[in-house]
Formats: sequence, C-alpha cells, structure tokens
Amino acid sequence: MNKLTQILIPIIILLFSFNVFAAASDDVKTSSADFETTAYEDEIYDPLEGINRAVFRFNNVADKVILEPVAKGYKKLPSPIQSGVGNFINNLKLPLAAFNQLLQGQGKNAVESSGRFLVNSTIGIFGLIDVADNFGLDQKQEDFGQTLATWGFGDGFYVVLPLFGPSNLRDTTGMVMTMMTDPINAYAVSQGEAWAIPFRTAANAIDQRSQIIDEVNALRDNSVDYYAAVRSSYYQNRKAAIMNTDDNVLTPLPLISIEFE
Amino acid sequence: MRLIKFFYIFLIFVSFDVKANEVKNWLNKEIDTIISAYQNNNLSNENKFLMIEDTINNNFAGTGIAKFVAGKSWNGASKEVKLEYIKLFKRHLALNISSMMQGYSDQKYELTNSSYDEKNKVTLIDMEIFSDTGSIQVTWRVKKSKERLFVIDLLVADISLVVTKRSEFNSMLKNVDYNLGELNNKLRSQNDSSYQKIIN
Repeated sequence: MNKLTQILIPIIILLFSFNVFAAASDDVKTSSADFETTAYEDEIYDPLEGINRAVFRFNNVADKVILEPVAKGYKKLPSPIQSGVGNFINNLKLPLAAFNQLLQGQGKNAVESSGRFLVNSTIGIFGLIDVADNFGLDQKQEDFGQTLATWGFGDGFYVVLPLFGPSNLRDTTGMVMTMMTDPINAYAVSQGEAWAIPFRTAANAIDQRSQIIDEVNALRDNSVDYYAAVRSSYYQNRKAAIMNTDDNVLTPLPLISIEFE
Repeated sequence: MRLIKFFYIFLIFVSFDVKANEVKNWLNKEIDTIISAYQNNNLSNENKFLMIEDTINNNFAGTGIAKFVAGKSWNGASKEVKLEYIKLFKRHLALNISSMMQGYSDQKYELTNSSYDEKNKVTLIDMEIFSDTGSIQVTWRVKKSKERLFVIDLLVADISLVVTKRSEFNSMLKNVDYNLGELNNKLRSQNDSSYQKIIN
C-alpha cells in the first residue's frame, strides 16, 4: 500500500499542476458572433482529439464485444437480484460521497449520506436493500472530480481513458484520488483481498451499463459523429452533477425560432 | 391595496399553472400516440416508424431546431441546400427520437412536474419512465407559437438532444469548412443506415 501511495502521489501532483494551467484553456471558446442563433457555445477543449478518437474506437469495440453483451445478460436476471447488486454497489460509494459532501460544505447531505450508509448496511442487510429511501434519505452522489470543480478547478482538457471512457483532466485526477482514498478499497487491501477492487469496478461498470443499454444504442446507431455526441453528453451530464441540479435549468436553452414551421 | 397585490400575484400563478397543465395534457396525448404505435402488433416496423415520424414532425419545431443545430454553416448555404438539409434533419430527428422511445415502449411513464418559464416563454414538463430496477427522467421543453405547441428540446438525464446534436454536427462541419452540403451527404447516409436498423 505504501509503495502504491509513493507512486500515486507524484502522479497526482503532476496532474494537478497540469490542471492549474489547463483551467485557462477553458476560456478557449468560439465567439458568439459565429452563431447567430444562440448564445450557447461549445466550450469543450479537446487538443488530444486524434488520440482520444483512437482510444474511443478501442473502447467502443470493447463495449460491443464484452460490456454490452454482459450487461444484456445481467439485465435478464430477476429484477430483485439486479436491484440488490445495484444497491450493494451504491452503498459502498456512500462513505466517500459523504466525505466529498463535507469537503464541498454540504453538511446536511453528508449527514444524510452517512445515515443512508448506516441504515442500509444494517437494516438493509449489507446494503442489498435500499431501506433508507423509505426514510427520506435520498441517494446523492459526489466524487472528488465534483469537489475539485466546486473548489474552482477548471475542466482541463478532454480525455478518453482506455476502458474507463470519457473524462477530463480534473475528473481523472478525482478518479485517482478516489482510488487512493476509498475506505472500502483500503480495507480490502489491508485484509489481503485486493482482488476485490477490480471485481468491484467491473461489477459497477456492468450495473451502470445495464441501465443505459437503449440510450447508448440510440446514440450509437443514430449519430453522424458518435465520438462528438458522447463528448457533449459527458460534459452536460458532469455539469449537472457538479451543480447538483436535477432539472434542466443548467442546460442552455436553445433559442429556437418556430415562426416558419 | 395589499389584497389587490395578492390577487394579481394569485392570477399570475394560476395562469402559469393553466399554461403548464394545457401543455401537459397535449404532451400526454402525443406520447400516447407514439407508444400505441409501438404496441400495435398489426403494424409493420416501417409503418410504425412512419406513423411516429408523422407525429414527431407535427409536434417538434423541426425547422427551428435544424437551423440551430447547423450553427454557423447555415449562413453560407444556398436556399436549395438549406431546404434539403431541413428535410434530412427532420428525418434524422425522427429516427433519433423513435429509436430512443422504442426502448421505453413497454415501460410505464408518468408526467410528474410541469412549470412555465415566463422569461423564455417555455414550458418544462418532467416525465419519469419506470423500469423494474429504477427510473429515468426525461424533460420536454415546449413552446407555443400561433396557438400551436411545439417541442423545442428533449433532455434525458440532463443531456439535451438539441445541444448534443449541435455539438456533434459542429464537430463534423469544422472539418469541411462549415459546408452544409457536406453535412447533407453525411446525414443522408446516416439516415439510410438508421432507417434500415429501425424497420428491420
């Protein structure tokens, strides 16, 4: 574990230093005069587009060959099993979510997440049943990427990670921090059960993917540029997560003329 | 005086609520039309799609969305290219929406919240689609023009269909010097491929 920490700390420092410079890159955007129809601008900074597209193609093949078929198989399991697995995985994320909520100054949410974890881990049989929902303790996810964004760190450049998919410099940094600080992972390592970490990651990927089979297929089958569609979707989704909005206030309203329909 | 103020505020809220409810009822009817087309086993896949495409074309601000999505390539294009683009885009939109709705056709849905954005004159309708293991939230943005209602955007889990399409098209257009004719060629072949998938 110590060796791992020694390797990861310099990487994080390096990523942070890139990120400080990359924050300025967020200012790279097209002029509003370029588009007469709207004030919305494409703010995504993607200087590694060539490499990203290559990784994206690889991920897409891996998804088609491995993840999607497995997720479809998982979807055929009885729904109580699927719900149980999903609840169990989500419950394991709660300690770190509560910690990130604290770091973001969301005291009430941190208390709720901690309460959720306690209730579901005990009454909910190790998190298999989401009992806390009935007590009004809603699931609110927070990660280090969101915390860094709340602290003012810019997105940095867009990057597609092998197997992990779309991200950016800030969220990749957050992901590494999650890997290093997750108490469940640390416990597994301390017990000599490190194999559980990739197993947990894979289970999470399958569970998440099974929930968006139709949406991904609709996007993949109907996009002129699937890469750009995923990139835009990723940014919109992350923006909403960072701002903790469930509605569409954040997504820019297209100024659409309907006079000549 | 205070009573009059209260009365005005009350009237404003009531009128917003009436507007939002009117849109909600209209949307409910149109979604039911699409869902019933999917569930009608007497129709071939092609006829199902054509029926859904008709509903989408009647209820979406297809031309306005097409213009928005084209971004700066719109200005430099000739009238013929623009007309062809609008035709192709409307089919593209119908293929996208029907492909997405196909996955929801056997699931229950409920229109949960509705609100009226006075500043932008847009009604927002939230729809929750339920599956055995959870639910997904879809938000419809609806605008009224000349006593007719039009959907101007659709958001699935905070992701706007229109904004995504604009970003996607812009990524392609920047490589062809914002030539709308080139986008038409790409759209035509993409529509053919999507159409074959949806009818088979």
